[in-house]
Amino acid sequence: MAETAGETALAAEFDALMARAGLTIPADRRAAMLDGFADLKQQLALLHGRYAHTAEPANVFRLTPLEVR
Amino acid sequence: MDTQDLSIAEMGRALRAGSVTAVALAEDALGRVAARDPGLHAFLEVTRDRALADARAADADLAAGRDHGPFHGIPYALKDIYDTAGIRTTCHSRLRLDNVPTEDSVAAARLRAAGGVLLGKVATHEFALGGPSFDLPFPPARNPWNPEHVTGGSSSGSATAIAARMVRMAMGSDTGGSIRGPAAWCGLVGIKPTYGRVSRRGVFPLSWTLDHCGPLSRSVEDSAITLQVLAGHDPQDGASADMPVPDYRAGLEAGVQGLRIGVPRAFFATASAATPDVLAGVDRTIAQLRDAGATVEDVTLPDYALFAAAGRVIMMAEAFAIHQADMQSRLLDYGEITASRFVLGAAITAADYINALRARRELTDAVNAALGRYDALLTASGLGTAPRFDTPVDNRAASSPMQTIPFNVTGHPAMSVPVALAGDGLPIGVQVVGRPFDEATVFRIGRAVETLSGWESVPLPAFSG
Repeated sequence: MAETAGETALAAEFDALMARAGLTIPADRRAAMLDGFADLKQQLALLHGRYAHTAEPANVFRLTPLEVR
Repeated sequence: MDTQDLSIAEMGRALRAGSVTAVALAEDALGRVAARDPGLHAFLEVTRDRALADARAADADLAAGRDHGPFHGIPYALKDIYDTAGIRTTCHSRLRLDNVPTEDSVAAARLRAAGGVLLGKVATHEFALGGPSFDLPFPPARNPWNPEHVTGGSSSGSATAIAARMVRMAMGSDTGGSIRGPAAWCGLVGIKPTYGRVSRRGVFPLSWTLDHCGPLSRSVEDSAITLQVLAGHDPQDGASADMPVPDYRAGLEAGVQGLRIGVPRAFFATASAATPDVLAGVDRTIAQLRDAGATVEDVTLPDYALFAAAGRVIMMAEAFAIHQADMQSRLLDYGEITASRFVLGAAITAADYINALRARRELTDAVNAALGRYDALLTASGLGTAPRFDTPVDNRAASSPMQTIPFNVTGHPAMSVPVALAGDGLPIGVQVVGRPFDEATVFRIGRAVETLSGWESVPLPAFSG
């Protein structure tokens, strides 16, 4: 079955991201990974644009005074 | 004496009464492993010589008046991501087949110092994520309730070893539910302590900020005894909390009279994969807790999908940072399922990861707010029973059969407790979630659930050997 334009774009994005990460994806594993990528993008969309600049991430840290000897 | 159904506390009493020795307990357990494991594949390595040496030392210490406490002389197993000095630690992966640590993980060292008897290393999904798989150097562990079914993961061998009554306790790890999931699907108790309660040092990481170490066991009391050994500050673990550790058994039998329990019903009631057996199990538990004097009310938390998204993004991003170099050079040495999940980390941007951390703050605040009004939360552990091995793997987030990852994201203590067998003869469990560092109340409610559900009279799978 022919890919739709959306599927083609998704596949191109996936291939670019894998290349950027230095990964060589075997042809026989690519389809399953693409399915996972499509699903992940739906989850990323839930997080995108949700927060104002005042919402800080959980890893903002605090320092405590050092004991100087 | 038939020792396979003795609790950890009962074994301890028998040892101190002189009616059994640690060597006898170890030999009994080793015999069960030899008879039962060939069809179940819980163990990657049986450390027979080490077990007998540990047991002889335990007997000698007791005879000399050196009592190391409630775990003294108790056989146990470790998930094969826990470093063990001189004993291979593979992560169930081709990539680490030759890895023999020179030091014990902190958990292994604490169990050893407490007089425990190490029987061996048990199966995991590869790197505590990818499985069940048949393309790894070792077969996947099978569910003793029906070996055609999976155990859940990733602490698969730990669950198999306990449900097949080879040991009472085995260590697991939980990054998105890998203790509580197998516990629920194999009829066991599994606690993910508060983030920072148990040192992670020497345990191969999946995701530094989601990883938790804890026990799977046959009973709530077994878990309380084990956590007593494990809990405590480790200044060399950057996430370790310097918090007092209470006596976890002191309030176990206190019941639930006067406790307030919130139920985030939308988590499971609106999930398409939730089975009638699971929904009935949760409702029956709620009714039993009310009858026992607890106030149980529905509570609203943010959408489950937001917890799941934050958890997956954090997990995949951190895991990929750990595995990127090996993925670049040895991708085909990973199992197919593992690789297909790890590569997704390469698709997560810095902004995605930071947005997930912003969500973590929002979600942790929301759960803390709910726990300001309630002593604990109660929800389903999983949405159904363990699937068959031949069920196609579905990696889509919406099809996840577990309800556990929210409390990895927020770090709250959470425990799965078995409550019933479903219509297919497989176990289901409920999840009790507590305030940070209040595992004692989680144990107290879990013990009540264990008693009220009648689970203790449900016979575990029988084996001839």
